[in-house]
Amino acid sequence: MTALETRTRPAPPAAPHRRGPRIPSWLTRLLACLGGSLVLALMIGDQEGSQTDYGLTFRKQILAPRVFAFLALGVLLFLCVSYWPRIKPYLTRPGFWPLISGGLAVLASITLMHWFDQAGNGKFGAVSDAVSRTSGISPIATAFYGWLAWTMLVVSVVVGGAAIVIGLRWLAFGVAALAVVAAVITYLAHQAVVDFTGQPDHSLGYLVSILGYIVILSGMLAAGLSHEASARSKHFVTRVLGFRPGLPLVIVGFVVTLLSFVGAAAWFSPSNKNTSLSETHDLFASTSINPFALNYLGWLSWVVFVGTLALAAAATWYRHRLLGWLAALAGAASTIITLVVLYDISKLGARTKFDGATGPWQNLGVGGWMACGGLFLLGSAGFVVATSARATRRVAAGTANGSLSGSPNGSGPNGVSATGSVAAADAAPATQPSPGRRAVGYLTAPGAARSAVLIAIAAALFYPPTATPFWQQVVVSEIGISMLLAAGLNVVVGWAGLLDLGFIAFYAIGSYTTAYFVGSLPVKPPSWLHMTPLLTIPFAIIACLMAGVILGAPTLRLRGDYLAIVTLGFGEIIHLAAVNSQSITNGAEGLTNDTGRHTKSVPNPSIHIGPLHIHWGLNQLQYWYLLLVFLVVVLLAFRRLEHSRLGRAWAAVREDEVAAQATGINTTKVKLAAFAIGASTSGVAGVFFASQIGTFTPDNFVLNNSILIVAYVVFGGMGSLPGALAGAAMLTWLPEFLKSQVPSSDRLMWIGAVVMLMMIFRPAGLIPARRRAAELSGLDGSSSSETRAVPAGEGL
Amino acid sequence: MTQFFDYLILGLTRGSMYALIALGYTLVYGVLQLINFAHSEVFMSGAFGSYIIVHLMVGKGPGTATWEVPFVFIVGVLSGAITAAIIAWLLERVAYRPLRRRGAPKLAFLISAIGASFFLSTLASKLFNSQTSNQFPAFFRNTVLFSIDGAHVRSLELIIIVSALGMMFFLDRLVNTTKLGRSIRAVSEDAPTAALMGINIDKTISRTFVIGGLLGGAAGFLFGLNYDFGFNMGFVPGVKAFAAAVLGGIGNIRGAMLGGLLLGVVENLVNLVPGFNTAWTDVVAFLVLVLVLMFRPTGLLGERLGRAA
Amino acid sequence: MTVTAPTSEVVFDVRNVTLRFGGVTSLNDVSLQMRRGEILAVIGPNGAGKTSLFNSLTGVYTPQEGSIMLAARRGDSPTSVVGMKTHRVNQLGVARTFQNIRLFPALTALENVKVGVETRQRSGPIAAMLGMPWQRREERESNSRAYELMKRVGLSGRANDIASSLAYGEQRRLEIARALGTNPGVILLDEPAAGTNPVEKRELASLIKSINAEDDVSVLLIEHDMKLVMSVADRIVVLNFGEKIAEGTPEQIQRDPVVIAAYLGTSAEQAESQADAQPELRLIDIEPEGEQS
Repeated sequence: MTALETRTRPAPPAAPHRRGPRIPSWLTRLLACLGGSLVLALMIGDQEGSQTDYGLTFRKQILAPRVFAFLALGVLLFLCVSYWPRIKPYLTRPGFWPLISGGLAVLASITLMHWFDQAGNGKFGAVSDAVSRTSGISPIATAFYGWLAWTMLVVSVVVGGAAIVIGLRWLAFGVAALAVVAAVITYLAHQAVVDFTGQPDHSLGYLVSILGYIVILSGMLAAGLSHEASARSKHFVTRVLGFRPGLPLVIVGFVVTLLSFVGAAAWFSPSNKNTSLSETHDLFASTSINPFALNYLGWLSWVVFVGTLALAAAATWYRHRLLGWLAALAGAASTIITLVVLYDISKLGARTKFDGATGPWQNLGVGGWMACGGLFLLGSAGFVVATSARATRRVAAGTANGSLSGSPNGSGPNGVSATGSVAAADAAPATQPSPGRRAVGYLTAPGAARSAVLIAIAAALFYPPTATPFWQQVVVSEIGISMLLAAGLNVVVGWAGLLDLGFIAFYAIGSYTTAYFVGSLPVKPPSWLHMTPLLTIPFAIIACLMAGVILGAPTLRLRGDYLAIVTLGFGEIIHLAAVNSQSITNGAEGLTNDTGRHTKSVPNPSIHIGPLHIHWGLNQLQYWYLLLVFLVVVLLAFRRLEHSRLGRAWAAVREDEVAAQATGINTTKVKLAAFAIGASTSGVAGVFFASQIGTFTPDNFVLNNSILIVAYVVFGGMGSLPGALAGAAMLTWLPEFLKSQVPSSDRLMWIGAVVMLMMIFRPAGLIPARRRAAELSGLDGSSSSETRAVPAGEGL
Repeated sequence: MTQFFDYLILGLTRGSMYALIALGYTLVYGVLQLINFAHSEVFMSGAFGSYIIVHLMVGKGPGTATWEVPFVFIVGVLSGAITAAIIAWLLERVAYRPLRRRGAPKLAFLISAIGASFFLSTLASKLFNSQTSNQFPAFFRNTVLFSIDGAHVRSLELIIIVSALGMMFFLDRLVNTTKLGRSIRAVSEDAPTAALMGINIDKTISRTFVIGGLLGGAAGFLFGLNYDFGFNMGFVPGVKAFAAAVLGGIGNIRGAMLGGLLLGVVENLVNLVPGFNTAWTDVVAFLVLVLVLMFRPTGLLGERLGRAA
Repeated sequence: MTVTAPTSEVVFDVRNVTLRFGGVTSLNDVSLQMRRGEILAVIGPNGAGKTSLFNSLTGVYTPQEGSIMLAARRGDSPTSVVGMKTHRVNQLGVARTFQNIRLFPALTALENVKVGVETRQRSGPIAAMLGMPWQRREERESNSRAYELMKRVGLSGRANDIASSLAYGEQRRLEIARALGTNPGVILLDEPAAGTNPVEKRELASLIKSINAEDDVSVLLIEHDMKLVMSVADRIVVLNFGEKIAEGTPEQIQRDPVVIAAYLGTSAEQAESQADAQPELRLIDIEPEGEQS
């Protein structure tokens, strides 16, 4: 470019961009805000338009009066942005963000969530209609669903906001009291409706609403008590979490278990009944249930609960390791006892064909599972105490020795060994006060990360049984499988830094391999190779490994974007091959049904090992727990892999390929390993998908799905395993959730908007990886330096 | 031989549209080193934008005088190009610039563009219609202009090829001779240095998006004239054009033109192979790409913008 | 030049190497022998081809002409490295650092060194996933070896800091530790003192000497800092415009009129007279700025 350099006349640096009239920045901002609100106005509303009347929605939305409301919103936004420096001090006052987020939670619960399953579509509006039409219902419910809910929300947010802005402490305490009252009223009103109908209910709207009020309460208390000008939420949260490791778990566990015991949730809920713990006891008292279960329902449960609670509380308070282990043991034991009792009562119910039950685990209410979750959390608290005590001591030792000792036992201060990885996260603030670390995060207190993981485990174990069949299906076939896929792709994209846009191909290969070996394809395996779906996993892994190597070996020397298009092409080729090879894959029809019989073409999986016979039927829960086993195995393995030799080699290749080569890393081999491991994970997911869903077509494996998996990984936080899982869960949950909120054909639009906003405001993802100071730096080195070069000029 | 020319003409028609779209990918790649995944939606918006205007002018088509037709055509191209340019400009402002300011990782841009792509195509289906078979008035579709060795050349095909080549020529001149072209090349060579030389990077990037949008929108109109169109029309041509851009050497303008034409021609000529099933056309396109990249890892003409042969 | 078979006392035997990029000749008919156990410095003005020489020795570039034979460790038989992959050359016992530091910025300092150490280990991904005993043992070994090396270069207090957060001089030393982690027979240091302060330079000199003496590692050094070069190098090779213009002990090089001419840009005769006048100081005062990569 020598010619260019000579021809470009360097402008004086003081005023480089003053050509033509300059649009004032406030005007740009105003236009942007108005445009944004207009687009929002267009986004809301039904899917319309036809070939004859083109742009119907467009005209309707533009001409509708509500567009002015949206434009006003835009102006408001503009004012907020323009006067941000003046507004900001108010927004950072203590209690403001809790107030807003609590208010938003209540608002969301009222506008979006289900309040009572039996009324219409179950949402707040439908329930309030039903309540207003029903006479004889308690007045508190009538008032609440009629006008009180909205009034309480508006009053608490407006008055609370005023209290913060003006700085009136007494008013803040008043709003705090109001929030308590509101939470109680919400609970009572919901309970009144449930009691009135006497029908079981799985809705969560009221719970979220109560939670919102609790958040408002905490915010207003903070506003009333704090003497600081600006809130230090992160610091505060860290201090609370770090006060006693495990204490939050104890509190949550205590509340959940207590709620389930005192009758807030049903233990046994056949279609016409909701019986609390004591009612269940009365119900089963006269039956032939074994005495242990009966005693449990009667009094043993309380003993178990109080015992575990006492142990866990003592352990957390005194940070006693032995007590911690005891509490963990007690928690595990009490959870198992509860499960046994649940099994006993549901089995008895099934034996008497009570309410059409066909086997154990049916007709159970939420309460039992809540109790399990709560007891599990109490045990977890003990576990956290036991392990984080060790972690702290190790950190202390590490810093005391100044890590100069050469750390011969290998458990260096950063807990590099696989088992110490979580401890490493816990120990981070103690050992890494250096400037290279990011500012203090929410989960940096000792034991906090581990507590979060344990809460996630508790939710994964005990939430699905309480969900509706629809959500169970979603949890299994959408969320679970995409979590597995995202974990696999995270190896390729997040750790090795290779952009793979054809990841779904391996998933397809896994599915079709399964279909082949169970004999559902037009081509049949030799009869001695015929097998049940789960046995095909090794074959699927081998097939995917081979495909991964065949694709990877010639293409992995290509640089980022070239690799992206080649993998994309590979994905398309596999998809088209599946569509076009009628004689092998049954073409575009896929495996819809088996030669005319309306059965699933891939049979349900089953395991027969000695005396153990497990058959997976139509119950989604069974698949969920199977999937959970897969997920846990994969996650544990990947966790270790990340902190192993290969994991570091991946990071090295991703960060600087030249340096990695010069350090003796065979980059091709390392990349190929990433490809192969990612591919085989995807293959396992494919096996699971095929055997769970039973019927599939090539359309399950289109390019869009590959792109979506990349989106999961990046959305969650590239290179962070929990991030990838969270991203997958979020982005698969969102469309299903939106299903009941927006017209189904608009879902992609909302997802697109959410993804875009997420990337704009949090480009590192939901849960950023620890090692991400320079993510994919080999690729984006130039763009980041360019960012710095861009002068901060006009625009938003 | 007749068949050969038939397929060649089809291939050139398709290829010139791929080339126009591929230019959008390649230009943006040049200045940002990013794949603009939402460019397929920019292309789509061109078709819809021109449809509104053409529909306003001539309705469904009947009763249009012959002398009006070229006029309608020009207005169609312009309106498509302008709509798409506006969308491309907005896209840069909303989905790219904020991320650039934050120094986001490269994949974040990709995901944000994918989000924008989902958003735009769904919004189009919502505002207009969710059918895939919208059609422009059939002005040029079936008039045979002349024949080469028995292969008919329809006027529309000729118009598409000629106007596409014309636009590519103008783009080439623009990039190689004008001041804007020089800033685009400078930014794609070395953005920080270009900034030090007094080039406004933001503005250059914006304008690059706009140029890509203009070409893509024109391609959208041409595509709509020749085939059916709908809210999801962008996807397949988008992927193909992206492949074409890579084939020619991404970031290289002449490479994108060559790659587009080549891809279009190859995927049509392959039909001459006896026993070839048209369902495998897309496979052929990608196989060609993979093979080329295996032997020339940076594409046919290499990757430097403005340094074409 | 007579062709003799390289003995095992020669680490690198470079013969008539020519490297071109398009029309530019980066190395022109360069021959040099590096003896086992010595500290050999390569000096020369900017653009003299020093880094190109490094890249040819480590397999990054493939010279069009000439041969490069390598016997990095004692007892190795000479192997040609022309056209060999970089990582293979490294495995044969050649480690290097980079002129513009190339660490793995998002890894911790310790992890950077571990990456080097672990390229000599064997356990695979499956062993890692299952947490096999031998994999754990290797992990422990790599940990303690990496700590040892961190201590060696004086970075033990910063083991758990992100590499990119280290100071410039620390990053340079970290790169050396990473290179040493691969257990090399010869280490190539590309301007290790660039951008460091005088104290760090003195420490660096003693570090280089100790690496050479205690670890039995031959050192090939590119450096612009003449004080450092003169104090550590056993022999010096001078490159200019891709050609070797001189070779010898520091004393010889300091007096060499051709070298002085190359540095001062004057004719050899003038330089000779100047060099005679002030033989010691002349070269030491000249410290050209670091090359831009």
